[in-house]
Amino acid sequence: MSAVPGLREDCEELLGAFQQADTVRFERFAELWRERRFHTIFYGRIRALERNKLAKKTLELAQQYFFPPYSFQIRVGALYLLYGLYNAQLCQPKQKIRIALKDWPEIQKFQQDLLDSQHYDAAYIFMRLRLARAFHFTAMPKLLTYRTKKKIEENYFKEEFKDPSNRVNSLITNDVLEELMNIHDHYQKMKCVISADKSQPDKALSLIKDDFVVSLKDITLEHQEWQQNRMKLLRNAKVTPEAENKKKEETLLESEGSERANALARIKYKSYSAVVEVSRSRRHRQVQLESSESGSSCGKSPSRSKKASRTPQPARRGEMQVAEETVTRHIGMPVITEEDSGE
Amino acid sequence: SIDMLMSSEKEEDPDVIPEDSSLLTLRIRKKALERREETIIVDRACRQETLTYEMESHATGKRPDNPTDLIEEGELLLTLNIFYPVIFQKHKDHKPYQTVLVLGSQKLTELRDSISCVSDLQIGGEFSSQPDQAPEHISKDLYKSAFFYFEGIFYNDKRYPECRDLSRTIIEWSESHDRGYENLQSLKMEDYVFNDLSLKIGFPYLYCHQGNCEHIIIITDIRLIHHDDCLDRNLYPLLVKKHWLCTRKCFVCKMYTARWVTNRDSLAPEDPCFFCDVCFRMLHYDAEGNKLGEFLAYPYVDPGIFN
Repeated sequence: MSAVPGLREDCEELLGAFQQADTVRFERFAELWRERRFHTIFYGRIRALERNKLAKKTLELAQQYFFPPYSFQIRVGALYLLYGLYNAQLCQPKQKIRIALKDWPEIQKFQQDLLDSQHYDAAYIFMRLRLARAFHFTAMPKLLTYRTKKKIEENYFKEEFKDPSNRVNSLITNDVLEELMNIHDHYQKMKCVISADKSQPDKALSLIKDDFVVSLKDITLEHQEWQQNRMKLLRNAKVTPEAENKKKEETLLESEGSERANALARIKYKSYSAVVEVSRSRRHRQVQLESSESGSSCGKSPSRSKKASRTPQPARRGEMQVAEETVTRHIGMPVITEEDSGE
Repeated sequence: SIDMLMSSEKEEDPDVIPEDSSLLTLRIRKKALERREETIIVDRACRQETLTYEMESHATGKRPDNPTDLIEEGELLLTLNIFYPVIFQKHKDHKPYQTVLVLGSQKLTELRDSISCVSDLQIGGEFSSQPDQAPEHISKDLYKSAFFYFEGIFYNDKRYPECRDLSRTIIEWSESHDRGYENLQSLKMEDYVFNDLSLKIGFPYLYCHQGNCEHIIIITDIRLIHHDDCLDRNLYPLLVKKHWLCTRKCFVCKMYTARWVTNRDSLAPEDPCFFCDVCFRMLHYDAEGNKLGEFLAYPYVDPGIFN
């Protein structure tokens, strides 16, 4: 099915505002909803057949935000959004929300979380939807249609709504840590058993740090905190009005991947621009550095220092300056900066 | 009280888009509406749209008169797309299909009976010499065999003694050399209900009847029955969507649907040529019923007959 134009933007705007509000209370969501008068989204002279299709597409779009990997707050927001859209639709009988069989355990877990953390308003909203028979229990999440698509739409996840993908945490889970502790204890005991002194392992057998499990846990916690702080910074950076220093924001908003790419690009640039100075006997055949970058002037390799670099283009100069500034704003993550050596 | 938070206070007309909307969707829709107002003279549903809407929604909420026909909770509802065998150039991007809703507890034979295909109604034979004696037997009565193919198993219709196992040729062919198909089985259609089958959604399966009329079947959705669905068992399998095919009209009067087609007709301007019953007789036979001119005439059933 082709998408409803503008709908994704509106939903994301509403969910974004809800995320900014940093609460999961329904009153707050209802205020935001009323501000935007979101119930008018179904207005406009639409005939019955088209109305049904529109309602179906709207509910399908909204229910995507209800599942992982979106963060908890976004999921609660999606629940409220679904409730609002389901009640605001003008079709008779109402179009239903499709939930696939594989997603039900997650939803039940989600509901349990809501009850445990005492978000009773969200749980109440969910019960209201169940009682109103608003769900279709289907085998597959998307209803299939058979028209050849002009272009394949890719699955699109808004970066900021996602829970920060915590790869470190998913590797070093609590279970893994517990097991490590157990194995460590067992190992210590074995060492005691085979050494002469039964209460303490031999000095010769101490090959590892005794408290490595604890320090591993500390390191992962640190990493998680760093990531959360970084996400907060990114979000705040987006919210501050477009000020003069657009470049600053741009570099801030680069994700980890492009930082690394930039660092790699800088290293490559350094290595390619370092030209060996030939010996004096072949002075007439100095090596000339040809740069593929536009606007750079090819010249003889001048200075003796190994870190000889071309005069960087204005853009790169700006970037490098900014890169230095970002050192102070990022927490802990090292940034490779180039020395700005003149020609 | 929760509901009150959603709706607005004053009375609103859902047809009017509010002026100062902050929603992108509404702004886009407003522009489209304005464009439509400029270009379209009469803005109402055409008959195809009314038909589609009616077919989708005519059965929602229906309850049976007889309580034994009520569908219970926990019943599965499958949505099948059955593609037409017609192949026209204009259909190459969107092949026409009909959509049928089927209950999990219904037998395969019930689905077979509900599929209406134009090739079932064909009447074989040349009848230029005896137009009044076109037999009443349609192909549906003469060739009753059919099979479904789901997941490597052929389900043959064996209800009548005339039915043959059409899938046997295929099974023999696949077993003759190692063609890479694992054992294909052949079973009886009437013994199985949909709940017994294991199916893939979106995967094309086959329905073959009349020996060589093949329809692709694709299952688009499986879900539990809902309170708002039609709960009358007798209405299933339920047709919810049908492709509208334009019927071929008589060449002479251009009003009635064609019932006869002629080949090698000296009286007709083109080959083949279509006629309705009245025009056919008026042109090709004189007052006594003698045949005029040389031609071959066959009864014609238009694919659009199910409109």
